[in-house]
Amino acid sequence: MSQGLDYEQRHLVKMANQIAMNVPGRTNIASQVANHMRSFWTPVMRAEIGEIARQHPDELAADVHGALDQLRVVEA
Amino acid sequence: MTVLDDRTSGQRDDQRDLGTPAVDTQTIVTVLIDGVPVEVPEGTSVMRAAALAGSSVPKLCATDSLAAFGSCRLCLVEIDGKPGTPASCTTPCSDGLSVRTQTPKLDKLRKGVMELYISDHPLDCLTCPANGDCELQDMAGVVGLRDVRYGMEGENHLDAPKDESNPYFTFDESKCIACSRCVRACSEVQGTFALTIAGRGFDSKVSASDGVPFLESECVSCGACVQACPTATLQEKTVIDLGVPTRKVKTTCAYCGVGCSFVAELRGDELVRMVPDKTGGANAGHSCVKGRFAWGYAGHEDRVTAPMIRESIDDEWKVVDWDEAIGFAASRLKEIQAQYGVDAIGGITSSRCTNEEVYVVQKMVRTAFGTNNVDTCARVCHSPTGYGLKQTFGTSAGTQDFKSVEKADVIMVIGANPTDAHPVFASRMKRRLRQGAELIVVDPRTIDLVRSAHIEASHHLQLQPGTNVAIVNAMGHVVATEGWIDRAFVEQRCDPASFQAWEEFIRLPENSPEVLEEATGVPADQVRAAARAYATAPNSAIYYGLGVTEHSQGSTMVMAMANLAMATGNIGREGVGVNPLRGQNNVQGSCDMGSFPHEFSGYRHVSDDTVREQFEALWGTQMRPDPGMRIPNMLDAATVGEFKGIYIQGEDIAQSDPNTDHVTAALRSMDCVIVQDLFVNETAAFAHVFLPGTSFLEKDGTFTNAERRINRVRPVMPSRTGLAEWEVTCALATAMGYEMGYSAASEIMDEIASVTPTFSGVSFDLLDKVGSVQWPCNEQAPLGTPVMHVDRFVRGEGQFITTPYVPTDERSTRKFPLLLTTGRVLSQYNVGAQTRRTNNVIWHAEDVLDVHEADAQARGISDGDWVEVSSRAGTTRLRARISDDIPAGVVYTTFHHPVSGTNVITTDNSDWATNCPEYKVTAVEIRPSSQVFV
Repeated sequence: MSQGLDYEQRHLVKMANQIAMNVPGRTNIASQVANHMRSFWTPVMRAEIGEIARQHPDELAADVHGALDQLRVVEA
Repeated sequence: MTVLDDRTSGQRDDQRDLGTPAVDTQTIVTVLIDGVPVEVPEGTSVMRAAALAGSSVPKLCATDSLAAFGSCRLCLVEIDGKPGTPASCTTPCSDGLSVRTQTPKLDKLRKGVMELYISDHPLDCLTCPANGDCELQDMAGVVGLRDVRYGMEGENHLDAPKDESNPYFTFDESKCIACSRCVRACSEVQGTFALTIAGRGFDSKVSASDGVPFLESECVSCGACVQACPTATLQEKTVIDLGVPTRKVKTTCAYCGVGCSFVAELRGDELVRMVPDKTGGANAGHSCVKGRFAWGYAGHEDRVTAPMIRESIDDEWKVVDWDEAIGFAASRLKEIQAQYGVDAIGGITSSRCTNEEVYVVQKMVRTAFGTNNVDTCARVCHSPTGYGLKQTFGTSAGTQDFKSVEKADVIMVIGANPTDAHPVFASRMKRRLRQGAELIVVDPRTIDLVRSAHIEASHHLQLQPGTNVAIVNAMGHVVATEGWIDRAFVEQRCDPASFQAWEEFIRLPENSPEVLEEATGVPADQVRAAARAYATAPNSAIYYGLGVTEHSQGSTMVMAMANLAMATGNIGREGVGVNPLRGQNNVQGSCDMGSFPHEFSGYRHVSDDTVREQFEALWGTQMRPDPGMRIPNMLDAATVGEFKGIYIQGEDIAQSDPNTDHVTAALRSMDCVIVQDLFVNETAAFAHVFLPGTSFLEKDGTFTNAERRINRVRPVMPSRTGLAEWEVTCALATAMGYEMGYSAASEIMDEIASVTPTFSGVSFDLLDKVGSVQWPCNEQAPLGTPVMHVDRFVRGEGQFITTPYVPTDERSTRKFPLLLTTGRVLSQYNVGAQTRRTNNVIWHAEDVLDVHEADAQARGISDGDWVEVSSRAGTTRLRARISDDIPAGVVYTTFHHPVSGTNVITTDNSDWATNCPEYKVTAVEIRPSSQVFV
């Protein structure tokens, strides 16, 4: 698991997937994850998880990818 | 004529002993005390009415913290139309009662009673430690006793032995008058029932447990007996050593989140004793062993009082003056920012420091540092409380005052051990339980509350660690499917769409106690019974601790409890609510003050343009609209070289935070670690700058306790470092290029009030005048808000949140088959930096690992053996203690001693929403260890 990722990156991956699994309700999960990241993550962390999503897409849950898509649209 | 009950006496600073407790009734009666008409609540004792009228009746066995006892026969009075001379302490006032407190007959009777007492009491007043502070001495004077006709030669107790076993007080039986005040204090106030009167008649004597020395007894050293004693029988050793105090300063304890008020009593600048303040809103005159006795650390020889710096953490410390230390720190931080960027540094505020000290640190980080990389130690304890309660109720705080528990009919304690961690509140809770309130305990451990003197939990849901959400969801399922929802409350007070979604979710079969039984390990019928008890009582209250928050679903659990409270209508009045028991004295305050990286003071997000512009205008600098890094993010970034400097206020993250190896690796990788503390702690081993801090006895400011009560912390003695901590912070900010300064701590609070809506009415002047207030304290609530969400939730309508149970990744495996959970003991406090430097170590000299007998036997471990404890994070060694307080498959320890390395084995798992570490669940294996860990 998490081949090629450093400690910080592995932790970010774990946090992101954990948020996707735990946000309340099972609808609009990607939006909730995006909101959570916007509210509590630094821009650097958001950028870093975006980079991980590009380079190691299998590490992240589908809803995290969905959230990152939304963040990219907003922050573009 | 004046109504003289407590509510109108207007003497908030009144420390007088009125003899018996106040009576809670609205019915006022008029009585004549020595011909003077007095109005008091019906049922008030004649003694209290007389004292309120300024006509005190002599007394010995009576004190207003205890129910009337009527044994000393000194408080006799005469009442018109009634025969004899009844005891004024046990005679209630009824309308028209005419009382005489001073007559020749009474004088003679009282003198005779005193004569008998003194005939069996040492006549050593001049050398007695209580000389000048002794009620027996006072009463002998009041009744005019001049000689003792019986002599001192008869059978007496003058040679009775003295028990000096307790480190803080002595028990001198020769001075005892058998008034039972100590026994009653232990029972009624503390609720421990460690003391009794053994023997009868002349042989009557106070006995600790079954006649053993105090130290070997069940005594918890709360000091209630010492406070209640009218003589020098129970006496603080500091008073014996130093003498009777000569001056007093009111202040607030710096240990747990109860936030007890104390009167510090001194001789000059030397502290003699701490006496719990009977007007204290949080503690009402009670204390625990830490607050009352364990303050010696403030003058401990380990205390560092001069700044120190060093180029490298491999160098020796060099003692320097403040200017050099501040200059060194500022230049290092600026160099880091120049090389690695503005966000390469940050700060951590401390819940042990005052609101004012915390506020200036977060202000320094946001202004002088120019980053939002500020976090607080609440990250690792109650950050899920802030998140969960804000989502559901609209504000990041508990709903009640402590007094509210006196109206609760069902008390549900979840993941908390109040008798050890919040002992003064626990005493209040136990009093209510003895009155008949029902108790539900949700905890893997059999904590003391489950079964102790005169208390037994009706329901103990002994769940598997990590399954809190499953249990509360199951309770919610029972409430919803058995028809216990308070629909009127929900319709009137809560958001209908969110309620509908929650009800549909919670009714799902997957949330039934029967389905979740396999995960929780709790039989479904027990969950159903507890849920019914909680849902059907007139008033049900939830109290919880770190056993709720320090989980991967800590925030979910807080929201699940809030759902349960709203669904059953248990919010918005006395006796109900969702109440976090905060770990440290100012956890609430440090969060209120804007310590989180995403929020300004008052829990307003940094992305809110209006709020941010308000701060920018006040502080005269631009602020970033994005959140900064949390503590774990800072540490992660440090390990990859992206975070290089940190200011740590009053925290020891190398001992307190999880996965010690990771924390220390991160600290080691930084170029500038600044530690502001009393002692060179574990974290300081990695520091380049040590800024000596001030103890609570030297601070000027405020703490905010778990019930949102803002209490004054007053300087009892001058700062031993020469500066207040906020002055040091301001100096660093100024050296960094941002001019920051205040003339006094009160000025900082004035600034806080000017920018924080919930604090807008708070000032030192107000607190000095009224004692304390609970926020919100503003124009709408000028004297504060004891109970929140009374007519509406802060957010408007209460928000139900669906809370699916997601098992933690941290599960027992073949390699790590046991689950470790952690907690505190009564005598120690968190990482022990303070309590380990007091005589409290006599009760807890080392951390031990509680192991169930079955698990111990399976591994060949005996009681007292050293064992190696391994998790995927690391290995440490602890001495084993075989215990049936925990179920098989679970082990338990504390983290008070750094040598134990408890957090070497805890992992980097954390709450999904807040990153609060999952201290309460770590999969481990244990095996016998021949190597003693030193």
